[in-house]
Amino acid sequence: MSPLFLIICHNAQPTLPILLRYYTMIETAIRRYCLAIHALVAFVGKSISYLMPVLAFVVAFEVFSRYFLNKPTIWAYDLSLFIFGYIAALGGAYAQQQRAHINVDILYNKVSPRMRSLFNIISFCLAIFFVAIICKMSIGKFEEALQFNYRRQSEWAPHMHHYWVMMAVASFMLGLQLSSDLLEEGFHLITGKTLLPDSIRNVEETPHD
Amino acid sequence: MISIELLTGVLLLCILVTFALGAPVGLGLGGIAMAVGYITWGDGLFNVIPTTLEATHFSFILLAIPLYIYMGQLLTRSGIGDAMFNASQMLIGKVRGSLAISVIIVCSMIGAMVGIIGAGIMTSGSIALRPMLERGYNKRLALGVIMAGGGLGILIPPSIPMIMFASATQNSVGRMFIAALVPALITIVLLITYVVIACKLDHSKAPLDKAPDVPPTLKEKWFTARDGLLSLLLIVAVLGSIIMGVATPTESGAIGVVGAICLAILFKRFKPRMVRNAGMQAALLVSVAMWIIFGATVFSNFHLLMGVQNMVASFTQDLGLSPMMVIIMFQLIMLLLGFIIDEFIIVLMCAPIFTPIAVSLGFDPIWFGILMILNIEIAVQTPPYGFALFYLKGIAPPGITMLDIYKSVTPFVLIKLLVLIICMCFPELVMWLPNKLMG
Amino acid sequence: ADHNWRFANLYSRGSAFGEVYESLAKNIETMSEGRIKVQVLYSGEGVGTTGILGAVKSGLITMGAPFQSMHAGELPAGIVEIGLPGGTDDAAELTTLFQEKGWAPILKEAYGSQGLVWLDPYIQPAVYVLTKKPINSIEDFQGLKIRAPGAYGKFLRNLGASPVSLAWGEIYTSLSTGVIDGSIGSNMIDHRDGNHVEVAKYMYPLPLAGAQVLPIIVNRSAWSKLSPDLQAIVSAATTVHARDQLTKSKLWESQAVAEMEEKGLQWSPAPSDADKAAWQAAGAGLWDEYAKSDKYSAELIEVLRKEAN
Ligand code: NA
Ligand code: NA
Repeated sequence: MSPLFLIICHNAQPTLPILLRYYTMIETAIRRYCLAIHALVAFVGKSISYLMPVLAFVVAFEVFSRYFLNKPTIWAYDLSLFIFGYIAALGGAYAQQQRAHINVDILYNKVSPRMRSLFNIISFCLAIFFVAIICKMSIGKFEEALQFNYRRQSEWAPHMHHYWVMMAVASFMLGLQLSSDLLEEGFHLITGKTLLPDSIRNVEETPHD
Repeated sequence: MISIELLTGVLLLCILVTFALGAPVGLGLGGIAMAVGYITWGDGLFNVIPTTLEATHFSFILLAIPLYIYMGQLLTRSGIGDAMFNASQMLIGKVRGSLAISVIIVCSMIGAMVGIIGAGIMTSGSIALRPMLERGYNKRLALGVIMAGGGLGILIPPSIPMIMFASATQNSVGRMFIAALVPALITIVLLITYVVIACKLDHSKAPLDKAPDVPPTLKEKWFTARDGLLSLLLIVAVLGSIIMGVATPTESGAIGVVGAICLAILFKRFKPRMVRNAGMQAALLVSVAMWIIFGATVFSNFHLLMGVQNMVASFTQDLGLSPMMVIIMFQLIMLLLGFIIDEFIIVLMCAPIFTPIAVSLGFDPIWFGILMILNIEIAVQTPPYGFALFYLKGIAPPGITMLDIYKSVTPFVLIKLLVLIICMCFPELVMWLPNKLMG
Repeated sequence: ADHNWRFANLYSRGSAFGEVYESLAKNIETMSEGRIKVQVLYSGEGVGTTGILGAVKSGLITMGAPFQSMHAGELPAGIVEIGLPGGTDDAAELTTLFQEKGWAPILKEAYGSQGLVWLDPYIQPAVYVLTKKPINSIEDFQGLKIRAPGAYGKFLRNLGASPVSLAWGEIYTSLSTGVIDGSIGSNMIDHRDGNHVEVAKYMYPLPLAGAQVLPIIVNRSAWSKLSPDLQAIVSAATTVHARDQLTKSKLWESQAVAEMEEKGLQWSPAPSDADKAAWQAAGAGLWDEYAKSDKYSAELIEVLRKEAN
């Protein structure tokens, strides 16, 4: 535990009201930062789910057009792949927020909650390193796509630049969410308290409607 | 330069550590590859990211994953999936474990629709897991049945890995599809046998349905039967669209989605909210699956660029073993590879390296190919690392831990291992049908 | 070795062509007396066929044998280079076109603009279309659903067919169930490896492209690290490789055809003169369209036009 923290919490003398106020301010700022990211990520994550029926419709339309009208489209193939890519990539941050990404939790479940926070901090750092590289490379590819007018190789030949923008955004958002989770875990590791309300991770699960 | 043997060892160690820490699988694997790659290769390796992204997100074959997951979610949320199992319970509900048996049969039908593992397991899991858990089935039995049945997707034709194998080794796809039928049938029969025996021995595994206080009226029975039949019709329609040449196995998932929505309307269970919630859950699962596939592919691409395939190739030369020992050795190598790479890469890498050796030893390439498919099915289900395990965890309810999943798959993996050994010892089981039908 | 190179090619491990790329790699190693070491990577071994151009450009891969159809959106001139439908199959004529009529410098510049060094291209066998029903006259293409990407798709559309986009892994199943009525293969060997004859028996005798010209490309910064003598050695090795490809691929093509004929491959009846003319016209109709895609394509097509007059 950090010495500063010990001073603040355990020796909180009336002579240190200013430090205490700073501390509360910082805690509030961190909490606000995390909540803002949660709101943004949840908004994007829920929004892209509306692409699911669109995806199914595009593929079904291609089948209909090819089989019944004998007129295969030139756009359904690439369009369905783009939608697929958007759902797959942009949902990553929301999945991280909901802690839905798969992990092997054998040892993880056996250690104390604080130890678990330490484990998470290491994993999330590794993950941030990975998504930072994805973000950097995607921005590079975006610039390249603009410079050389990159398109898909099909007859329809749609532009590629928006895909790389999307990848940069998706990885950046995943990075943001990971940063929020890092702060959360760090806070828990140091104070043993939770930073954010539990309700934030309860996806409305209504299987019966 | 670091030797590939040492690198492989380092990578394995890193995987074990990251997994022990409970890191997200896809992000962890990608992070390991980038970190180890940065040290051994430099930042030039980061360029593997764009090509890998394009290869995973623009793969039409993988498009089956979102389409089938969405279909599965719609089926379960509209109650169509339940209708199917309710009807089956009316027929064979008196048999202990009957629901698990129905699930295996439904999974086999889903296996006949999809050609890749992920789509099979996640669809089966969406539809069949909840009905079993709700009726008080032992969760390990329920999970194991889903895994075993969902994994049949690559053994029951059509199967993408089989097409890849046939192409890489210049063999007939048709022969291979037919050759897989008997092993698939043996697997299904053994799975059902296991369920029946296990439930007989341990009644807590599968409680019998309690007799309702008021016996169902004839009218209620008729409704159950009708709903069950209609749901079954959907599966038949999706299968039919493939067989009749309306759609490819990938596209048929979209037909299933449209069919599920139509059925929901017919059953008067259609609500915009149901479609929205199904879409939300499906999008989350798709994203989870695809981040794993992407991270794992970044990892295996790094490993391949460093030359792991050459390590395998040189290792298999001049083993100095008896022919049968060579075959067994190949199976062991593939099982080990299953720890670090996915179903497609195993075929891509091992089929061209191993098959010529097997053929030169006098074995039939089709038989060897079927062994490879059976082996891959096992490799993706064995702990600690296997795509099928991750897919199953993705679809399982929150309380289920990885340890539950490891324990749940064990008996079923043993059954599949048994099938592999049976097919290895009695090649006629594999070769008889294609020889009879195709000469 | 002073230089450790990775060389990715467009074929999967186990394909007949692998041998020629392996020997190119070995030649570079022996001719440079081990100063350059070349590791051969097949399709999917770190980079898929669609990623080769980008990977060589970024330096992930040092040297590549790409299939330009996969890179139509990145380097449109490659589509003209590989040979638009209806082009010649005469190797001598193609060599003149590249070396004397001015294609080589244009392509050097086109690839150079993306940070790639363009080395001697090599020729691979023709592209054919396989159908489930015999094509007795060119009208039979009307309404047929044929798997044919990019330029080949446009060509077939000119003949009244409906081009379909499908993943390679689904061609076999789709032909067998009738989702599609036919498919092109990148060559006869590809048709054989895909086992397509099991489910579609009829090959149309006219090729969609008489021959395909494929380049060997090298990452520019890796290239500039080579001393002039090593650069000369790599160039010389690719020239040997081009010769190898020509003789061997002819042999493999005839073997593949023989094997498929054994499995029941049949040729659609010989086309009439009117059919041949319609076939030519469908190909020539693409020139204008491809000339528009970028300035290098325009320059290449300009050379073709001068030739034709
Ligand atoms: Na299947
Ligand atoms: Na495994």
